[in-house]
Amino acid sequence: MRLVRPETPRDAVAALTNGAVALAGGTDLVPLLRDRIVEADALVHVADAVPRGVTSTSTSITRVGAGTTLGELEVDPQVPQALREACALSASPQLRAMGTLGGNLRQATRCWYWRLKFPCYLHGGERCHAKEGEHREHAIFGNERCASAHPSDLAAALLALGATVRTDRRELGVAELYRLPTDDERDVVGLERDELILELDVPAADASTYLKAMDRRKWAFPLVGVAAARVGPSVRVALAGVAPIPWLLDSPAALDDATPLPGTAYKVELARVLVRRALAATG
Amino acid sequence: MARLIRTEKEVEGRYTEQWVVVEEDALDQWPAGPLETVGRDTPRVDGYERARGEAIYTADVQFPGMLHTAVLRSPHARARVKRIDFERALAAPGVRAALGPASGESSGGDAEASGAGAYTPDSSASAPYSSHVLTDEPSFAGAAVAALAADTFAQAADAVRLIDVEWEVLEPLLDADEAVARESLLEEPRRYERGDLERGLGEADVVVEAEYRTQTLLHNALETHQSVCRWEGDTLEVYISTQYIWGVRSGVAKALELPQDKVRVVCNFMGGGFGAKNNAGDYTFIAAELARRTGRPVRCALTRREENMASGNRNATIQRLVAGARADGTLTALGGEFVNAVGWDGFSASTSGPMQLLYACDNVRTVDYGAQLNTSPNAAFRAPGFVEGTFGLECLLDELAAKLDLDPLELRKRNYSDSDLVDGRPFSSKRLLECYRRAEPHWARREEVRARSEAPWRRGVGLASQVWYGGGGPPSYAWVRVGSDGRATVITAMQDIGTGTRTAMAQIAAEELGLPLDRVEVALGDSARGPFASISAGSSTTPSMGPAVRAAAADAARQIVEIAAQRYHLEQRVLSLRGGHVVSADGGSWPLEEVTGLLGSGQILGKGARGPNPAGMRVLTFGIQVAEVAVDVETGEVRVERVAAIHDVGRIINPLGARSQVEGGIIQGIGHTLSEQRLLDPLSGSVLTQTLDAYKLPTIADVPELVTEFVDEPDTHLTNLGAKGLGEPPIIPTAAAIANAIRDATGADVRSLPVTREEMLRALREARERETVAARTS
Repeated sequence: MRLVRPETPRDAVAALTNGAVALAGGTDLVPLLRDRIVEADALVHVADAVPRGVTSTSTSITRVGAGTTLGELEVDPQVPQALREACALSASPQLRAMGTLGGNLRQATRCWYWRLKFPCYLHGGERCHAKEGEHREHAIFGNERCASAHPSDLAAALLALGATVRTDRRELGVAELYRLPTDDERDVVGLERDELILELDVPAADASTYLKAMDRRKWAFPLVGVAAARVGPSVRVALAGVAPIPWLLDSPAALDDATPLPGTAYKVELARVLVRRALAATG
Repeated sequence: MARLIRTEKEVEGRYTEQWVVVEEDALDQWPAGPLETVGRDTPRVDGYERARGEAIYTADVQFPGMLHTAVLRSPHARARVKRIDFERALAAPGVRAALGPASGESSGGDAEASGAGAYTPDSSASAPYSSHVLTDEPSFAGAAVAALAADTFAQAADAVRLIDVEWEVLEPLLDADEAVARESLLEEPRRYERGDLERGLGEADVVVEAEYRTQTLLHNALETHQSVCRWEGDTLEVYISTQYIWGVRSGVAKALELPQDKVRVVCNFMGGGFGAKNNAGDYTFIAAELARRTGRPVRCALTRREENMASGNRNATIQRLVAGARADGTLTALGGEFVNAVGWDGFSASTSGPMQLLYACDNVRTVDYGAQLNTSPNAAFRAPGFVEGTFGLECLLDELAAKLDLDPLELRKRNYSDSDLVDGRPFSSKRLLECYRRAEPHWARREEVRARSEAPWRRGVGLASQVWYGGGGPPSYAWVRVGSDGRATVITAMQDIGTGTRTAMAQIAAEELGLPLDRVEVALGDSARGPFASISAGSSTTPSMGPAVRAAAADAARQIVEIAAQRYHLEQRVLSLRGGHVVSADGGSWPLEEVTGLLGSGQILGKGARGPNPAGMRVLTFGIQVAEVAVDVETGEVRVERVAAIHDVGRIINPLGARSQVEGGIIQGIGHTLSEQRLLDPLSGSVLTQTLDAYKLPTIADVPELVTEFVDEPDTHLTNLGAKGLGEPPIIPTAAAIANAIRDATGADVRSLPVTREEMLRALREARERETVAARTS
């Protein structure tokens, strides 16, 4: 396996040929490589090629480089509260010192069937093993074909904040970054294979927060994560850990439309409480 | 004089009757309380060595030319190997040899022809081990099927994927109740009865019945199971992370048909075991065989995934319990049906043990079933059976207390047992009432703790008692060597599994020899360089080894005094050893090295043996823990805020080490209670939680305020030390204390571990419904 260290986005994209994979903090990619879920001939280490750090382009927009670590984001006062809290509640200090914003948005599900390479729907197979199997960590929305849960705390916060993503070739909303897997396309990240996330623009909110239920106090992925951001009278709520992709909740009542599995019904109950609390906190 | 006796030997609560040669234990116990070194906080003698990375663990053992192993483990819970082909694997870079299952239709390269060392059906059939280590009919996911050795671990791991296997996948049996119904049992159901349960229930004013469930738990020691095997001539050297050097020695010798002295087992430092490293394991036999085939040292180390799939576990249990009591709280009946979901192999632990032992109840009936399933074999795990059984029993007692409207601590006091009702023996010592007395200030905090509840958090306090074995026993031996420089070395082939026994042994020898601790070393961990020593399991190392070390030190001290008496023309009875000196009653004092220096390069060698256990007595350990919790009644989050632990384990050798043991036990217990569970795919039987992000051990953020106390009174009947073991007691009551605190805080009965969000929310919902019904009827 080769390691390539490009210094510009253009060189990085050029290096992302067939068989090459972008490496940032490596906290998810390295285990995936070791477990042979991701196969690569070359690793393109993008640390020197993508922006890193936080700048305010205006009073209403914070620009964050994709190479910024979670540890840097959680302590930066320019970063909206929900995103800082999401970072602080993620992983462990060690992992947050390595993991980057760009990498976090592209991390894979923790679904144990997918990680153990069961020939499941997300791997291109016919059925979701979690639905008839062990699924206490799985989805309550968007789970018709695949019940995996998206693990990113940050993605939910960015979705609630209405952030936009700039890649080497376009701009898109965080919502457009993800799509539910379909028969034609199982990958939940809607970027081209050699497309590189460079920066995010995060709008300021009048108030925002991120709440998270997990199995232990630290270092656990969300059973349910709830981000809420208020701008003027309008509040946007997004959830982590409840669907194969970060999930925008149109209203608290939308939780009535959840489609929990027998083992994930408790997540609906958790989501109701956390949504109520998040709305109260940003009220 | 050596005496041959027939005695009961207990390990992890299992008793076997056997012949043992014992020496008389002639020494009087030391007075109670802190002495010069024993009974005082003592930092680990090997602390710096460990912290600096100088300590050599099995994971650090390196030899020139050493090969690395990867093991092919069955991905299926029940399957047959129809065909196995090693050709591609053997052709892979760096591969030196392969091992296959003992039978089955196989094909592969030719060892001699390829020069690579290879598997053929014939050579494998001649292997000294068969289905137990490598099998072509795996009966659980993770069973070892084949193995190969290569120059690097990466090469071995790559090559093992090239072994072509055609599987016939069979339907696994995964449900414990179904296994009992189908009589898929590892042993006959174990039945126990005293008195008459039905009569006891008839005499009861109040009866409670409940079903409790505990989950499968994984040891996940920091150092995975591993061995390095090296043949030196006709001797096999086994470097292994083990709790029992001598058990590995005899197990390997037997399997490989070697004289026992042709097997040398070494374990100097160890990264934890918790009961799962009591014997050689498949990895040792694989490494030994590959070393024999290749003539090279071979390492076989489990990966973290293998560790979680196939290195043992605390099996799940289902407990259907009943208790009856008179209105005053006197227990009239205790009954339990305990289903142990043991796995394909292993042992059915005494989950009913606490119900039989803890309380003075005349009518007790229990039955333990050991369900055989297509899951990986269990292994002893820090008080196997008693952790699970105490959760059920002590939760049941609190449900009974609630129904009787009686204080839970008072209920326990009213049913205190003065002797072992299982076999009518008196206890060698039991200071549980003193533990209860010392628990009172912690228990009295509950009004104040409850009052600190503020929505949505509800706070409460719960307690649970603990009973366990931990007396150790013979045989165990130690030598103490004192040189002309006045320094002593304790020599015994025991192992320190990370609990600090190396330090405790140094303290005991230093105390007896009147030496400062820094003049005592402990040489352990090598079967070729020391006498037989106890297994480090069943809370037995200190109570088994400590008395032998003291006896050896006393033997050396006696010889020193004899020499000094002649040198200084004094009577032996006026001489003693103190502060590195030989001192006489009339005030004379000579540095120890002045006496031992008379020997030149010669040395004094003291020998010691563990004496017998007190005849006709039951040696047990006791304790109580009081837990304080906060429960978010909307999200089901449980936070343990404080645990106070008071244990009675006889004399405490090193209070610092003992507190550390208790803290570790409670923290592990918190993991057992709240977050840890091995999950299986219910269809295929695959282990889903193979990594430490999925199998959730507690982190430091989950650790509450911990308060530890010891009764610290020597058991006057037990050995020359009066010390019992402490490895297991502290983990036993933690889960029940937390569950009882949850009930105190919320009124919800959690009866299934772990108390995840879904279990807590379920219990809260059930409690609300019960209240609604009660309100409607009243």
